[in-house]
Amino acid sequence: MLRLADIVVHYGDREILHGVDVAVGRGELLAVLGANGSGKSTLLKAAAGLTPAARGSVTVDEKPRGIRDTALVFQKIHLVGRRSALDNVCAGALARLPLHKSLTPALFPRDVREEAMGCLERVGLANRAHDRAGSLSGGQQQRVAIARALCQRAPVVLADEPVSALDPAAAEQVLALLAQLAHAEGLAVLAVLHQPDLARRHADRIVGLRDGVVVLEGDPNQPVDVLYENREPEVATP
Amino acid sequence: MSVLEAPRAKVPPKPRNPRTVVVGWIIAAVVVAVHVIAWRATDISFAALAEGWAGMADFLAEAIPPDLSPDLLLESAEASLVTLWIGLLGTTLSVPLSLILALLAARTISPAGWVYQVTRAILSFLRAVPDVVFALIFVTAVGLGPFPGVLALVAHNVGVMGKLWAETLEEADPGPATALRSAGAGRIQVAAHALLPSVLPQLVGLLLYRFDVNVRSSLVLGLVGAGGIGFLINQSIQLFQFDQMLTHILVVLVLIIAVDRLSAVVRRRLTPEAA
Repeated sequence: MLRLADIVVHYGDREILHGVDVAVGRGELLAVLGANGSGKSTLLKAAAGLTPAARGSVTVDEKPRGIRDTALVFQKIHLVGRRSALDNVCAGALARLPLHKSLTPALFPRDVREEAMGCLERVGLANRAHDRAGSLSGGQQQRVAIARALCQRAPVVLADEPVSALDPAAAEQVLALLAQLAHAEGLAVLAVLHQPDLARRHADRIVGLRDGVVVLEGDPNQPVDVLYENREPEVATP
Repeated sequence: MSVLEAPRAKVPPKPRNPRTVVVGWIIAAVVVAVHVIAWRATDISFAALAEGWAGMADFLAEAIPPDLSPDLLLESAEASLVTLWIGLLGTTLSVPLSLILALLAARTISPAGWVYQVTRAILSFLRAVPDVVFALIFVTAVGLGPFPGVLALVAHNVGVMGKLWAETLEEADPGPATALRSAGAGRIQVAAHALLPSVLPQLVGLLLYRFDVNVRSSLVLGLVGAGGIGFLINQSIQLFQFDQMLTHILVVLVLIIAVDRLSAVVRRRLTPEAA
């Protein structure tokens, strides 16, 4: 389904990714692991089209990735706190709505609202549909963000450290939800994670990046020490 | 009760960049110099103030006590309401244009660099022309009365509110906008569903602040023929009826305090939502 082939990304003169190949199949949760600065978030941004690749290709079902092919779930969640959970989820449908039907939440067509409600049901938050997003817990907000991604109808979900800001229980719930959506609904989920134990419990496969190169791939239960050992400590630049 | 003293460490000297120190002194010197120039250019003279004190006292003696006759109070209250309506319409009628220009003048959402520059220039022009000057222009166009006052406030307020709103939009959390852009939403959809709802309390707060300012401005506009209580104040000064002038000023005071309290209450109610 999602395939990143020979991806090279530069930030200025620095090459961050050195020809990375990653593929995620339908119904699969792939966790990308690596230390800070290993290039895993850059890989996700390249997959989402947010960072241009100097070389390589991103395809979905063997066609060049279109904007509606991928839905993003962010570390910082990025909901509009003043709007209801339902309105935030409806916003996932904006790309397929004409302007006159999407200028305010009151104009959203009924079918979009019902579809958004269905997405909230799938993440277990139907009972909080009319609550302000800002009043929900961190884990609940991330589930609303996942519902917004579902409302985009994208076959690929890209999650950038989706549980870094959450407590352990909420992190388990969110990862379990992503895995369930992949397995039950056939989505391809690529999640950048900092926690190998979470990847072990929820991912179908892992990819380990070190200094912009894939150094391990496959079974989530394999040792991942090679990703983190003998790294120079991070030094703050003035 | 004993207190465990934390181990101490020597504080290293704060690094000072000689260039920063020199620049600081230059800025201080420039500030002092411009104040000296301003002092001279505005003919500030405490001696003149001391000599003229008696004239001010005579003026106040003629104004006190204010004329509190019911007819005058009624006339004053009616004119104050006109002033309030000028301030209200001057604020609300400027909202649509202010919003459009603010969206075009916000760097984070403006469709192109030249659009941003042109819009900023328009806003600067509208701000640079004082509302009194706009009032004089509109009085020549549509005659004396409250209507040119409303037009003048709208013209000036679009400049001020457009700029304030544009800067508020620029400071909005970019996260939700990034999320919607990545989901394929268009520029206007991003503004409507991410930026505007995120900063709505601040925008409303600024709107109320401008209403407060505009009510006071509409008072001044009355002095140049744009109706309302300012017109009555001007009339009583020209007829040397200073007791009536004081009455009008006291009624205005009540109006200004009421508007100030009202907008403060609304702003306070909005503040928790902004958090």
